[in-house]
Amino acid sequence: MTVVALRLAGPLQAWGSRSRFVRRETEKAPTKSGVIGMVAAAKGIRRTDPLEELADLRFGVRIDQPGQLLRDFQTAQRPKKEKDGTTSWSSLPLSQRYYVSDAVFLAVLEGERRLVEDIDEAVRSPEFPLYLGRRSCPPAGPVALGVFDSGLEEALATLPWMAGTRRQQRHRANTVRLTTVRDAHPDETDGELVQDIPVSFDPNRRQYAWRTITRGTVEIDNPHGTAEKAEEHDPMASLGG
Amino acid sequence: MFLTKMPLNPRRRGARKLLGSPQALHAAVQAGFADPSPTEEGRVLWRLDTYGQHRVVLYTVSPDKPDFTHLVEQAGWPTTETWQTRDYDPLLDSLRMGQRWQFRLTANPVRSARHKEWTETKPLAHVTVKQQKQWLLDRTTRLGFQLVTSDSASEAEPDLTIVERGTRRFNRQGSDLVTISTATFEGQLEVAEPMALRHALTFGIGRAKAYGCGLLTLAPSLRKGAG
Repeated sequence: MTVVALRLAGPLQAWGSRSRFVRRETEKAPTKSGVIGMVAAAKGIRRTDPLEELADLRFGVRIDQPGQLLRDFQTAQRPKKEKDGTTSWSSLPLSQRYYVSDAVFLAVLEGERRLVEDIDEAVRSPEFPLYLGRRSCPPAGPVALGVFDSGLEEALATLPWMAGTRRQQRHRANTVRLTTVRDAHPDETDGELVQDIPVSFDPNRRQYAWRTITRGTVEIDNPHGTAEKAEEHDPMASLGG
Repeated sequence: MFLTKMPLNPRRRGARKLLGSPQALHAAVQAGFADPSPTEEGRVLWRLDTYGQHRVVLYTVSPDKPDFTHLVEQAGWPTTETWQTRDYDPLLDSLRMGQRWQFRLTANPVRSARHKEWTETKPLAHVTVKQQKQWLLDRTTRLGFQLVTSDSASEAEPDLTIVERGTRRFNRQGSDLVTISTATFEGQLEVAEPMALRHALTFGIGRAKAYGCGLLTLAPSLRKGAG
Protein backbone atom coordinates (compact mmCIF):
# COMPACT_ATOMS: atom_id res chain seq x y z
CA MET A 1 0.00 0.00 0.00
CA THR A 2 1.05 3.58 -0.58
CA VAL A 3 0.24 6.61 1.53
CA VAL A 4 0.45 10.36 1.08
CA ALA A 5 1.23 12.41 4.18
CA LEU A 6 0.07 15.98 4.78
CA ARG A 7 1.14 18.43 7.45
CA LEU A 8 -1.80 20.49 8.63
CA ALA A 9 -0.59 23.41 10.70
CA GLY A 10 -1.71 26.98 11.03
CA PRO A 11 -2.78 29.71 13.42
CA LEU A 12 -6.41 28.60 13.08
CA GLN A 13 -8.05 25.41 11.86
CA ALA A 14 -11.70 24.39 11.87
CA TRP A 15 -12.76 20.81 11.32
CA GLY A 16 -16.50 20.54 11.75
CA SER A 17 -18.44 17.33 11.63
CA ARG A 18 -21.64 18.31 13.38
CA SER A 19 -22.07 22.00 12.67
CA ARG A 20 -25.63 23.23 12.35
CA PHE A 21 -26.98 26.75 11.77
CA VAL A 22 -25.24 29.45 13.81
CA ARG A 23 -23.11 27.18 16.00
CA ARG A 24 -20.10 26.06 13.92
CA GLU A 25 -18.20 23.51 15.96
CA THR A 26 -14.83 21.91 15.40
CA GLU A 27 -13.41 18.48 16.17
CA LYS A 28 -10.07 18.17 17.98
CA ALA A 29 -8.54 16.50 14.91
CA PRO A 30 -8.97 17.00 11.17
CA THR A 31 -12.01 15.32 9.64
CA LYS A 32 -12.02 13.12 6.58
CA SER A 33 -14.48 15.39 4.82
CA GLY A 34 -12.32 18.43 5.52
CA VAL A 35 -9.11 16.85 4.25
CA ILE A 36 -10.80 15.23 1.22
CA GLY A 37 -12.31 18.64 0.46
CA MET A 38 -8.89 20.25 0.61
CA VAL A 39 -7.43 17.57 -1.67
CA ALA A 40 -10.35 17.99 -4.08
CA ALA A 41 -9.70 21.74 -4.16
CA ALA A 42 -6.04 21.07 -4.90
CA LYS A 43 -6.98 18.75 -7.77
CA GLY A 44 -9.39 21.32 -9.15
CA ILE A 45 -12.51 19.15 -8.71
CA ARG A 46 -15.68 21.28 -8.78
CA ARG A 47 -18.12 21.12 -5.89
CA THR A 48 -20.74 19.35 -8.00
CA ASP A 49 -18.36 16.65 -9.29
CA PRO A 50 -18.46 13.08 -7.93
CA LEU A 51 -16.02 12.25 -5.13
CA GLU A 52 -16.14 8.44 -4.84
CA GLU A 53 -12.51 7.97 -5.83
CA LEU A 54 -11.24 10.23 -3.03
CA ALA A 55 -13.80 9.21 -0.43
CA ASP A 56 -12.74 5.56 -0.75
CA LEU A 57 -9.19 6.32 0.45
CA ARG A 58 -8.40 5.18 3.99
CA PHE A 59 -7.79 8.15 6.23
CA GLY A 60 -6.00 8.68 9.54
CA VAL A 61 -4.63 11.61 11.53
CA ARG A 62 -2.12 12.06 14.32
CA ILE A 63 -2.34 14.96 16.77
CA ASP A 64 1.23 16.24 16.90
CA GLN A 65 0.37 19.43 18.74
CA PRO A 66 -3.13 19.67 20.18
CA GLY A 67 -3.38 23.46 20.25
CA GLN A 68 -6.24 25.22 22.00
CA LEU A 69 -9.93 25.55 21.36
CA LEU A 70 -10.87 29.10 20.46
CA ARG A 71 -14.38 30.50 20.30
CA ASP A 72 -15.23 33.35 18.01
CA PHE A 73 -18.50 35.10 18.80
CA GLN A 74 -19.30 36.74 15.49
CA THR A 75 -21.49 39.83 15.23
CA ALA A 76 -21.24 40.64 11.56
CA GLN A 77 -23.36 43.36 9.97
CA ARG A 78 -24.42 43.89 6.41
CA PRO A 79 -24.56 47.35 4.80
CA LYS A 80 -27.66 48.27 2.83
CA LYS A 81 -27.98 51.31 0.58
CA GLU A 82 -31.27 53.14 1.26
CA LYS A 83 -33.13 55.04 -1.51
CA ASP A 84 -32.11 58.41 0.01
CA GLY A 85 -28.40 57.57 -0.36
CA THR A 86 -27.69 56.75 3.31
CA THR A 87 -26.28 53.38 4.38
CA SER A 88 -28.08 51.34 7.01
CA TRP A 89 -26.52 48.34 8.72
CA SER A 90 -28.50 45.23 9.49
CA SER A 91 -27.16 42.49 11.74
CA LEU A 92 -26.55 39.01 10.42
CA PRO A 93 -27.51 36.18 12.80
CA LEU A 94 -25.15 36.06 15.81
CA SER A 95 -22.95 33.02 15.37
CA GLN A 96 -20.46 31.05 17.46
CA ARG A 97 -17.53 29.76 15.43
CA TYR A 98 -15.02 27.41 17.03
CA TYR A 99 -11.43 26.97 15.92
CA VAL A 100 -8.41 24.94 16.98
CA SER A 101 -5.59 27.43 17.29
CA ASP A 102 -1.87 26.76 17.10
CA ALA A 103 -2.23 23.05 16.36
CA VAL A 104 -0.20 20.72 14.16
CA PHE A 105 -1.66 17.54 12.67
CA LEU A 106 -0.33 14.80 10.47
CA ALA A 107 -2.97 13.53 8.04
CA VAL A 108 -2.39 10.36 6.03
CA LEU A 109 -4.38 9.02 3.07
CA GLU A 110 -3.85 5.44 1.96
CA GLY A 111 -4.72 4.15 -1.51
CA GLU A 112 -3.38 3.07 -4.87
CA ARG A 113 -0.01 4.47 -5.87
CA ARG A 114 -1.23 6.38 -8.90
CA LEU A 115 -4.02 8.11 -7.04
CA VAL A 116 -1.84 8.91 -4.06
CA GLU A 117 0.93 10.37 -6.22
CA ASP A 118 -1.64 12.52 -8.00
CA ILE A 119 -2.79 13.90 -4.67
CA ASP A 120 0.77 14.70 -3.60
CA GLU A 121 1.41 16.52 -6.87
CA ALA A 122 -1.88 18.41 -6.70
CA VAL A 123 -1.22 19.61 -3.14
CA ARG A 124 2.18 20.91 -4.23
CA SER A 125 0.62 23.01 -7.01
CA PRO A 126 -3.05 23.38 -6.11
CA GLU A 127 -5.77 24.44 -8.51
CA PHE A 128 -7.78 26.27 -5.83
CA PRO A 129 -6.27 27.70 -2.63
CA LEU A 130 -5.75 25.20 0.19
CA TYR A 131 -7.34 25.89 3.54
CA LEU A 132 -7.69 24.08 6.83
CA GLY A 133 -11.39 23.38 7.13
CA ARG A 134 -12.58 26.93 6.62
CA ARG A 135 -11.71 29.49 4.00
CA SER A 136 -10.30 31.89 6.61
CA CYS A 137 -7.70 29.37 7.81
CA PRO A 138 -4.71 29.20 5.46
CA PRO A 139 -2.02 26.61 6.18
CA ALA A 140 1.30 27.69 7.66
CA GLY A 141 4.20 26.15 5.79
CA PRO A 142 4.16 23.46 3.10
CA VAL A 143 1.36 20.92 3.35
CA ALA A 144 2.77 18.04 1.29
CA LEU A 145 5.20 15.73 3.06
CA GLY A 146 5.52 13.22 0.24
CA VAL A 147 4.49 9.69 -0.73
CA PHE A 148 5.58 6.70 1.34
CA ASP A 149 5.51 2.95 0.69
CA SER A 150 3.82 1.84 3.86
CA GLY A 151 0.43 1.21 5.36
CA LEU A 152 -1.66 3.81 7.16
CA GLU A 153 -0.92 2.64 10.71
CA GLU A 154 2.77 2.29 9.97
CA ALA A 155 2.97 5.81 8.56
CA LEU A 156 1.23 7.27 11.62
CA ALA A 157 3.65 5.42 13.89
CA THR A 158 6.90 6.20 12.07
CA LEU A 159 6.76 9.72 10.60
CA PRO A 160 8.71 12.16 12.77
CA TRP A 161 7.05 14.38 15.39
CA MET A 162 6.17 17.73 13.82
CA ALA A 163 5.39 19.93 16.81
CA GLY A 164 7.32 23.20 17.12
CA THR A 165 10.93 23.07 18.25
CA ARG A 166 10.27 24.97 21.47
CA ARG A 167 7.47 22.61 22.37
CA GLN A 168 9.67 19.59 21.73
CA GLN A 169 12.43 21.05 23.89
CA ARG A 170 9.99 21.74 26.70
CA HIS A 171 8.67 18.18 26.50
CA ARG A 172 12.11 16.98 27.74
CA ALA A 173 11.33 13.24 27.55
CA ASN A 174 12.94 11.31 24.70
CA THR A 175 9.68 9.83 23.48
CA VAL A 176 6.23 11.31 23.17
CA ARG A 177 2.84 9.63 23.16
CA LEU A 178 0.56 11.04 20.48
CA THR A 179 -3.14 10.43 19.83
CA THR A 180 -4.22 9.00 16.49
CA VAL A 181 -7.68 8.92 14.91
CA ARG A 182 -8.09 6.63 11.89
CA ASP A 183 -10.68 4.79 9.83
CA ALA A 184 -11.55 1.51 11.51
CA HIS A 185 -10.97 -1.77 9.70
CA PRO A 186 -14.17 -3.54 8.67
CA ASP A 187 -13.58 -6.16 11.38
CA GLU A 188 -13.06 -3.60 14.17
CA THR A 189 -16.41 -3.18 15.84
CA ASP A 190 -15.60 -0.97 18.83
CA GLY A 191 -15.24 2.32 16.96
CA GLU A 192 -17.26 5.52 17.12
CA LEU A 193 -19.52 6.74 14.35
CA VAL A 194 -19.14 10.21 12.91
CA GLN A 195 -21.00 11.71 9.99
CA ASP A 196 -17.88 12.48 8.08
CA ILE A 197 -17.64 10.85 4.64
CA PRO A 198 -18.18 13.46 1.94
CA VAL A 199 -20.78 12.30 -0.60
CA SER A 200 -21.28 15.66 -2.23
CA PHE A 201 -19.89 19.15 -1.61
CA ASP A 202 -22.63 20.68 -3.76
CA PRO A 203 -23.39 23.98 -2.00
CA ASN A 204 -27.11 23.50 -2.55
CA ARG A 205 -27.22 20.00 -1.14
CA ARG A 206 -24.22 18.85 0.88
CA GLN A 207 -24.28 15.21 1.88
CA TYR A 208 -22.18 13.27 4.31
CA ALA A 209 -22.23 9.55 5.13
CA TRP A 210 -21.18 7.88 8.37
CA ARG A 211 -17.76 6.44 9.07
CA THR A 212 -16.37 4.40 11.95
CA ILE A 213 -13.25 5.77 13.62
CA THR A 214 -10.78 4.19 16.03
CA ARG A 215 -8.72 6.22 18.46
CA GLY A 216 -5.29 5.05 19.55
CA THR A 217 -1.87 6.24 20.64
CA VAL A 218 1.60 5.90 19.17
CA GLU A 219 5.06 6.41 20.68
CA ILE A 220 7.28 8.71 18.62
CA ASP A 221 10.88 9.75 19.23
CA ASN A 222 11.39 13.31 20.37
CA PRO A 223 14.31 14.76 18.39
CA HIS A 224 14.80 17.51 20.99
CA GLY A 225 14.46 15.31 24.05
CA THR A 226 16.99 16.14 26.73
CA ALA A 227 15.95 13.76 29.47
CA GLU A 228 19.04 12.02 30.69
CA LYS A 229 18.62 10.14 33.92
CA ALA A 230 19.99 12.75 36.29
CA GLU A 231 22.98 11.45 38.19
CA GLU A 232 22.41 12.35 41.81
CA HIS A 233 25.04 14.65 43.27
CA ASP A 234 26.29 12.98 46.46
CA PRO A 235 28.54 15.09 48.68
CA MET A 236 28.53 12.28 51.28
CA ALA A 237 30.61 10.11 48.95
CA SER A 238 33.85 11.85 49.86
CA LEU A 239 33.10 11.73 53.60
CA GLY A 240 32.89 7.99 54.06
CA GLY A 241 29.43 7.45 52.59
CA MET B 1 31.79 21.83 60.66
CA PHE B 2 29.28 19.13 59.82
CA LEU B 3 27.51 18.06 56.64
CA THR B 4 24.07 16.53 57.03
CA LYS B 5 22.00 14.68 54.45
CA MET B 6 18.33 14.15 55.08
CA PRO B 7 15.84 12.72 52.58
CA LEU B 8 12.35 14.17 52.90
CA ASN B 9 9.08 12.43 52.08
CA PRO B 10 7.25 14.82 49.71
CA ARG B 11 3.98 12.92 50.08
CA ARG B 12 3.51 14.07 53.66
CA ARG B 13 1.57 17.15 54.57
CA GLY B 14 4.37 18.51 56.72
CA ALA B 15 6.79 18.15 53.85
CA ARG B 16 4.45 20.00 51.50
CA LYS B 17 4.38 22.92 53.90
CA LEU B 18 8.16 22.96 54.13
CA LEU B 19 8.76 22.52 50.39
CA GLY B 20 6.22 25.20 49.64
CA SER B 21 7.92 27.92 51.61
CA PRO B 22 11.64 28.53 52.08
CA GLN B 23 10.65 30.60 55.10
CA ALA B 24 9.12 27.55 56.79
CA LEU B 25 12.07 25.33 55.88
CA HIS B 26 14.52 27.94 57.14
CA ALA B 27 12.71 27.99 60.46
CA ALA B 28 12.69 24.20 60.62
CA VAL B 29 16.42 23.94 59.87
CA GLN B 30 17.28 26.65 62.41
CA ALA B 31 15.18 24.83 64.99
CA GLY B 32 17.49 21.84 64.65
CA PHE B 33 20.27 23.68 66.44
CA ALA B 34 20.48 24.77 70.05
CA ASP B 35 22.52 27.73 68.87
CA PRO B 36 22.16 28.40 65.16
CA SER B 37 24.27 31.56 65.15
CA PRO B 38 27.41 31.71 62.98
CA THR B 39 30.87 31.00 64.44
CA GLU B 40 34.36 31.83 63.11
CA GLU B 41 34.29 28.47 61.35
CA GLY B 42 31.12 28.98 59.39
CA ARG B 43 27.35 29.35 59.44
CA VAL B 44 24.26 27.25 58.89
CA LEU B 45 23.59 26.72 55.19
CA TRP B 46 21.02 24.46 53.59
CA ARG B 47 19.89 23.34 50.17
CA LEU B 48 17.02 21.30 48.86
CA ASP B 49 17.82 18.97 45.96
CA THR B 50 14.95 17.49 43.97
CA TYR B 51 15.46 14.64 41.53
CA GLY B 52 12.25 13.79 39.75
CA GLN B 53 8.98 13.85 41.61
CA HIS B 54 9.65 11.68 44.62
CA ARG B 55 13.27 12.19 45.56
CA VAL B 56 13.86 15.24 47.73
CA VAL B 57 17.04 15.60 49.78
CA LEU B 58 17.89 18.32 52.28
CA TYR B 59 21.60 19.07 52.72
CA THR B 60 22.83 21.14 55.60
CA VAL B 61 26.27 22.48 56.51
CA SER B 62 26.60 23.75 60.07
CA PRO B 63 29.10 24.51 62.85
CA ASP B 64 27.25 22.14 65.24
CA LYS B 65 25.62 18.76 64.82
CA PRO B 66 21.93 19.15 64.07
CA ASP B 67 19.01 17.30 65.63
CA PHE B 68 16.30 16.97 62.99
CA THR B 69 13.89 14.81 64.99
CA HIS B 70 11.12 17.35 64.42
CA LEU B 71 11.76 17.24 60.67
CA VAL B 72 11.65 13.44 60.60
CA GLU B 73 8.38 13.45 62.48
CA GLN B 74 6.77 16.05 60.25
CA ALA B 75 8.22 15.34 56.87
CA GLY B 76 10.31 12.17 56.84
CA TRP B 77 9.96 8.45 57.47
CA PRO B 78 9.95 8.31 61.29
CA THR B 79 10.37 4.55 61.57
CA THR B 80 12.84 3.85 58.78
CA GLU B 81 14.86 6.89 57.68
CA THR B 82 16.70 9.46 59.73
CA TRP B 83 19.46 11.85 58.80
CA GLN B 84 23.19 11.27 58.35
CA THR B 85 25.71 13.72 59.76
CA ARG B 86 29.38 13.58 58.79
CA ASP B 87 32.34 15.53 60.07
CA TYR B 88 33.13 18.05 57.32
CA ASP B 89 36.57 19.09 58.58
CA PRO B 90 38.57 16.22 57.01
CA LEU B 91 37.35 17.27 53.61
CA LEU B 92 37.89 20.97 54.29
CA ASP B 93 41.42 20.25 55.49
CA SER B 94 42.19 18.03 52.51
CA LEU B 95 41.53 20.72 49.88
CA ARG B 96 44.65 21.18 47.76
CA MET B 97 45.43 23.23 44.72
CA GLY B 98 44.71 21.41 41.49
CA GLN B 99 42.15 18.96 42.87
CA ARG B 100 39.08 18.41 40.72
CA TRP B 101 35.61 18.03 42.16
CA GLN B 102 32.08 17.70 40.85
CA PHE B 103 30.06 20.46 42.45
CA ARG B 104 26.46 21.49 42.93
CA LEU B 105 25.30 24.91 44.04
CA THR B 106 21.93 26.58 44.32
CA ALA B 107 22.38 30.32 44.27
CA ASN B 108 20.47 33.55 43.98
CA PRO B 109 22.24 35.36 41.13
CA VAL B 110 21.56 39.09 41.44
CA ARG B 111 23.14 42.33 40.35
CA SER B 112 22.87 45.73 41.90
CA ALA B 113 20.93 47.97 39.55
CA ARG B 114 18.90 51.11 39.42
CA HIS B 115 15.86 51.79 37.30
CA LYS B 116 15.51 55.18 35.63
CA GLU B 117 13.11 56.61 38.17
CA TRP B 118 14.78 55.13 41.23
CA THR B 119 17.11 57.05 43.45
CA GLU B 120 18.57 53.97 45.14
CA THR B 121 19.99 50.78 43.69
CA LYS B 122 18.38 47.49 44.47
CA PRO B 123 19.42 43.86 43.95
CA LEU B 124 17.69 42.64 40.79
CA ALA B 125 17.75 39.05 39.61
CA HIS B 126 19.68 37.85 36.61
CA VAL B 127 17.12 36.40 34.27
CA THR B 128 18.67 34.39 31.47
CA VAL B 129 20.77 31.26 31.67
CA LYS B 130 23.63 33.16 30.08
CA GLN B 131 23.51 35.93 32.70
CA GLN B 132 23.27 33.43 35.54
CA LYS B 133 26.25 31.46 34.27
CA GLN B 134 28.23 34.66 33.86
CA TRP B 135 27.33 35.62 37.43
CA LEU B 136 29.08 32.50 38.71
CA LEU B 137 32.01 32.76 36.27
CA ASP B 138 32.66 36.32 37.50
CA ARG B 139 33.02 35.03 41.05
CA THR B 140 35.09 31.87 40.68
CA THR B 141 38.45 33.55 41.26
CA ARG B 142 37.28 35.15 44.49
CA LEU B 143 35.75 31.87 45.64
CA GLY B 144 39.05 30.07 45.19
CA PHE B 145 38.36 27.77 42.28
CA GLN B 146 38.14 27.74 38.52
CA LEU B 147 35.84 25.77 36.26
CA VAL B 148 37.30 22.90 34.32
CA THR B 149 37.04 23.58 30.62
CA SER B 150 35.99 20.74 28.42
CA ASP B 151 38.22 21.16 25.40
CA SER B 152 36.22 18.71 23.30
CA ALA B 153 34.67 21.50 21.25
CA SER B 154 36.64 23.93 19.13
CA GLU B 155 36.26 26.66 21.75
CA ALA B 156 36.88 25.81 25.38
CA GLU B 157 33.54 25.71 27.18
CA PRO B 158 33.55 25.71 30.98
CA ASP B 159 32.03 22.55 32.43
CA LEU B 160 28.95 24.23 33.88
CA THR B 161 25.24 23.62 33.45
CA ILE B 162 22.17 25.05 35.06
CA VAL B 163 20.05 22.06 35.94
CA GLU B 164 17.17 23.97 37.48
CA ARG B 165 16.04 27.56 37.64
CA GLY B 166 12.99 29.33 38.88
CA THR B 167 11.49 32.11 40.93
CA ARG B 168 10.21 31.47 44.44
CA ARG B 169 7.57 33.77 45.86
CA PHE B 170 6.51 33.22 49.43
CA ASN B 171 5.30 35.11 52.44
CA ARG B 172 7.40 35.91 55.39
CA GLN B 173 5.82 35.82 58.80
CA GLY B 174 3.73 38.90 58.83
CA SER B 175 2.67 39.33 55.26
CA ASP B 176 5.44 40.81 53.16
CA LEU B 177 6.09 38.89 49.98
CA VAL B 178 9.62 37.68 49.32
CA THR B 179 10.69 36.99 45.74
CA ILE B 180 13.96 35.24 45.02
CA SER B 181 15.12 33.84 41.74
CA THR B 182 17.26 30.74 42.06
CA ALA B 183 19.55 28.82 39.75
CA THR B 184 21.06 25.42 40.45
CA PHE B 185 24.51 24.97 38.94
CA GLU B 186 26.32 21.69 38.37
CA GLY B 187 29.76 21.20 36.91
CA GLN B 188 33.36 20.42 37.58
CA LEU B 189 35.77 22.72 39.38
CA GLU B 190 39.47 22.80 40.02
CA VAL B 191 40.72 24.11 43.36
CA ALA B 192 42.83 27.25 42.99
CA GLU B 193 43.00 28.67 46.52
CA PRO B 194 42.09 26.14 49.22
CA MET B 195 41.50 28.75 51.94
CA ALA B 196 39.15 30.84 49.80
CA LEU B 197 37.23 27.76 48.72
CA ARG B 198 36.98 26.60 52.31
CA HIS B 199 35.42 29.94 53.17
CA ALA B 200 32.97 29.60 50.27
CA LEU B 201 32.00 26.10 51.44
CA THR B 202 31.38 27.12 55.05
CA PHE B 203 30.03 30.66 54.70
CA GLY B 204 28.13 30.26 51.46
CA ILE B 205 27.98 32.08 48.15
CA GLY B 206 25.82 35.04 47.26
CA ARG B 207 22.56 36.17 48.76
CA ALA B 208 19.42 34.56 50.23
CA LYS B 209 21.45 32.08 52.29
CA ALA B 210 18.63 31.74 54.80
CA TYR B 211 16.34 30.64 51.99
CA GLY B 212 18.29 27.71 50.67
CA CYS B 213 20.79 29.47 48.45
CA GLY B 214 24.57 29.61 48.64
CA LEU B 215 25.47 26.07 49.75
CA LEU B 216 28.21 24.65 47.53
CA THR B 217 28.89 20.93 47.90
CA LEU B 218 31.64 18.80 46.40
CA ALA B 219 31.55 15.21 45.23
CA PRO B 220 34.37 13.05 43.88
CA SER B 221 35.11 13.88 40.27
CA LEU B 222 34.01 11.19 37.83
CA ARG B 223 36.94 11.89 35.55
CA LYS B 224 40.45 11.48 36.85
CA GLY B 225 41.89 14.88 37.68
CA ALA B 226 45.05 15.81 39.51
CA GLY B 227 43.38 14.98 42.83
